[in-house]
Amino acid sequence: MNLNEHILKEANKLRFQIGENIHDAVISSIYQEANSIAGNAILLDRKKHAKVIDSKVDRIVTSKTWGFAIMFALLALVFWLTVEGANVPSGMLASLLVDTLHPFLKSVATQIGFPWWLSGVLIDGAYLALAWVISVMLPPMAIFFPLFTFLEDLGYLPRVAFNLDAIFRKAGAHGKQALTMSMGFGCNAAGVVAARIIDSPRERIIAIITNNFSLCNGRWPTQILIASIFIGTLVPPLYSGMVTAGAVITVALFGILLSLIVSRGLSNTILKGEPSSFSLELPPYRKPRLLQILYTSLIDRTLFVLWRAIVFAAPAGVLIWLTANITIDDKSIAHLFTVWSDPFALLFGLNGVILLAYIIAIPANEIVIPTILMLTVQILGMDNLGSGSGVMFEADSVSLTADILVAGGWTALTGVCLMLFSLLHNPCSTTIYTIYKETGSIKWTVLATIIPIIMGFTLCFIVAQGYYFLIN
Amino acid sequence: MQNTTQQCASCTVHNKKNLERLGIEMEDYNFLIALAGNPNTGKSTVFNYLTGLHQHTGNWPGKTVSRAEGAYIYSSKKYKLIDLPGTYSLLSTSADEEIARDFILFGQPDVTVIVLDATRLERNLNLTLQILEITERVVVCVNLADEAKRHGITVDPKYLSERLGVPVVLASARQGDGMQELLAAVEGVATGEITCKPHRISSLPEEIRKAIEQLSAKIETSFPGLPNSRWIALRLLEGDQRMIEAVGSGELSVLAEALVQSTNVT
Amino acid sequence: MISELLYIGVLLITAGAVSWIYFPNSFLKRYLLKNRDTSYRIRTEDALKHFFDCEERHLTGTLDSLAGFLNISRDKAAMVISRLQENKLIEAERDGIYRLSQQGRSYALRVIRTHRLWERYLADETGTDQMTWHYLAEKKEHQLSSDETDELAAKLGNPMFDPHGDPIPMKDGEIPQRKGFTLAELPVLETAQIIHIEDEPEIIYSQIVAVGLYPGIHIRMISSDKDRIRFEANGEEIVLSPQIAGNITVSALAFNEVIPEEYISLASLQVGETCRVISIAKAMRGQQRRRLMDLGIVPGSVIEVKFSSSSHDPRAYSIRGALIALRKEHTSLIYVEKTGV
Repeated sequence: MNLNEHILKEANKLRFQIGENIHDAVISSIYQEANSIAGNAILLDRKKHAKVIDSKVDRIVTSKTWGFAIMFALLALVFWLTVEGANVPSGMLASLLVDTLHPFLKSVATQIGFPWWLSGVLIDGAYLALAWVISVMLPPMAIFFPLFTFLEDLGYLPRVAFNLDAIFRKAGAHGKQALTMSMGFGCNAAGVVAARIIDSPRERIIAIITNNFSLCNGRWPTQILIASIFIGTLVPPLYSGMVTAGAVITVALFGILLSLIVSRGLSNTILKGEPSSFSLELPPYRKPRLLQILYTSLIDRTLFVLWRAIVFAAPAGVLIWLTANITIDDKSIAHLFTVWSDPFALLFGLNGVILLAYIIAIPANEIVIPTILMLTVQILGMDNLGSGSGVMFEADSVSLTADILVAGGWTALTGVCLMLFSLLHNPCSTTIYTIYKETGSIKWTVLATIIPIIMGFTLCFIVAQGYYFLIN
Repeated sequence: MQNTTQQCASCTVHNKKNLERLGIEMEDYNFLIALAGNPNTGKSTVFNYLTGLHQHTGNWPGKTVSRAEGAYIYSSKKYKLIDLPGTYSLLSTSADEEIARDFILFGQPDVTVIVLDATRLERNLNLTLQILEITERVVVCVNLADEAKRHGITVDPKYLSERLGVPVVLASARQGDGMQELLAAVEGVATGEITCKPHRISSLPEEIRKAIEQLSAKIETSFPGLPNSRWIALRLLEGDQRMIEAVGSGELSVLAEALVQSTNVT
Repeated sequence: MISELLYIGVLLITAGAVSWIYFPNSFLKRYLLKNRDTSYRIRTEDALKHFFDCEERHLTGTLDSLAGFLNISRDKAAMVISRLQENKLIEAERDGIYRLSQQGRSYALRVIRTHRLWERYLADETGTDQMTWHYLAEKKEHQLSSDETDELAAKLGNPMFDPHGDPIPMKDGEIPQRKGFTLAELPVLETAQIIHIEDEPEIIYSQIVAVGLYPGIHIRMISSDKDRIRFEANGEEIVLSPQIAGNITVSALAFNEVIPEEYISLASLQVGETCRVISIAKAMRGQQRRRLMDLGIVPGSVIEVKFSSSSHDPRAYSIRGALIALRKEHTSLIYVEKTGV
């Protein structure tokens, strides 16, 4: 036996003697010494220490009376600023990229002598998809992420996790999931990345898989548009704004509820055997550094997410254009698929156009509505609308959109089912890719993708069949 | 007038010229520096200050997930800096801890800088005392001193330095305070100008202490010159597979060289 | 036109499914074959475990005992035995009495090693209910390869005991020993810690679990006679029948353990109270235990209850200068003594 093996034998013998309490004993000793060193190295000004506002602030933001109120008010403020603040820059970006630059590029292409299909694929397909994703995605993220990072830098977010942990504990999840969920309201891919702050493997996977139930900002516009067309109009105009907002918030809250239910289901079944632990540190409040916040939120988060979206959006734009412009017997593939899948889709209160839009617009939820409009117009043969056949567009007004959709056979049921389906369908490809990158597991990625689809179809089916049953 | 210029030779503005941030350009370095510390101690802020990079920081534990690397030049010597994942301890078995532990042990950095949070000194010393068992080439940077002051906490760096046996620097990396002293201390330890006599854990229960002594004596015969045989013995008693393999194959020393080379490549 | 396409699609899918079930294709065949291999492995390994068990308890391993243990007919048991003999895993000691060969013994130890490691894994790293540990490990022991088992052991830090206190055989077959005696033998007023709880039969095990006993818990004998045994475990009085107590092994306290005079949990303290940690219950295992210790919750730590969250649980504690939120389920396993208000 050589010397090294002898060492190991000896080590084993000693282990058997000492037993398994060694870890506890060693850590205890180290802390004992740390305590004696730190005690002498620190001069504590008790008066000043007690006067620090941290503990007073903490008493308030975690109190029974004010804790939840402050939290909801702050988060509501963040969302309101995001939605309201993004409108103007979004419109400006859209008018620049879509209304001005797009026709310009087209005319340049014609002048250079591009064949129609090449300018179609590149400009009507890839470029337009890009333009849409940027104009819809960039402004809200550029507002949401700095605000969120501000709260993070301040040290407030761990208190939110602290306050909400009771709810998440009952769902078998970690309080920090409240934050990844909130982040998901901005962008699911960012929410998935944010799940890194959860240090317990099981709770982290739960947070990643259920993040898609947070309505991301690519889906808010869809919800608002459809709600105002199909639900806001069910009541007198005076109340329609309120009812619309109510409907959208209901869907978002429903998403939160579902994410809790799914979390609980996952932690009790598939994830039961995964390692789990809980601890949450509440760091001292710190004065946020504005420049640092802008840098991290814009570069690390906004541009990071935007870049991934762009990478996926361009090929999707090409695909969308191709499905709308390759024809068999004078009918485009999109048209054929739509008509073919219509009876199936009707079972779920949807229609073929919606199904196709969700399939080909998988890179970004932002381009779902333009795709739906494009397909509807093409199938109905309303060539006078939009920017030409087989090109994505957004109608100039809500009422025009409503006219197009109603002409396409949409009813209030379609609207409701679309809103549900928009909440419950597969994550966008950016998010799917991010989930894969973060978990490194095909299993969790697939699960995160199909759970919402199955739930979406099931729920739409129940709603649609229930409705048919009631009206008969 | 002249008086001012002379004074300025030692002030921060002047010394800043001594520091040249190199970002990720890090070929042909003279010294390899590891940056360790608890999560949320401003470790990344120190890293960013020295390298000019923008590693994500936030008031939230566990932001640095992967290992970040960067470089700087100080007094015409080139330093490569490795930002290790923030950990509370090196004795448990999480992936982060393994990365940090393996690097400090096998990567053989010229200096390990431990960033402490002045407001939570006691808990941060847990990791410090563990690292001092592994390596003696350590500089302790007590960060967030300004915040500690706000909380009425004053840290005595001289006393700490005496007890720990390594240079201790007070700093507020967010403001850039204490960074010059840190750079100088790192240089001192790296070049061997400053010799460290690290604190060793001495209050272990009799039974464990004896076992460690017995085992570390054997390890020292097999691997002469190993500075941390006590720590290796402790790890063996805890059943650490990595250590069992490193000892069993006799590669404890060979492996160290291999790891240094692999970090040079990346 | 459309509906016809739909029907054709459905028809094709059904046909595919039917043919897959009724005409055993290669995939199905392979699956069934693999299944047969697995059951072969399970039976072999269970038989080895039986013979190992017999030797440990100084019983004789026979054809009948094997048939009884595996719950199979004597004919089948005979087949198993002849197969084991062919593979030189067991040898006939005398007529009808078998014992393990060197090879068989190390195989059996490997299976036991996997079983106990997996129990340890489930206890330390997962939230699975302790009544299911044994059952899950019974399955897992036949699935892991020898390398996978070693990997598992490495990941867990080469533990020496399973959560019931049974020794886990090392890679080279060496078994850690722990001296102890049964709970019934503990003299009155003596203190000790439980080091082993037999997890079979399940009826008795579930009763032990139900009163909240686990390896590592401290006990103090109050009284013991032939009808009942009264003792205190972590401050709570428990009464067991001698028969059940016979399945519990105890030993003297480990070197660094203190028995507190009174068991107060951190969870029972009010906001504003300060305390000193005495011990963390052994029921807190694995990752969670390590995490708490890393955060500075070790014997001697001074902890102040700072405030509770808007929904009462978790609460924030000041621990070694940091503010840490902990859930009640964990603080109720941390024993402390009050030091002031």
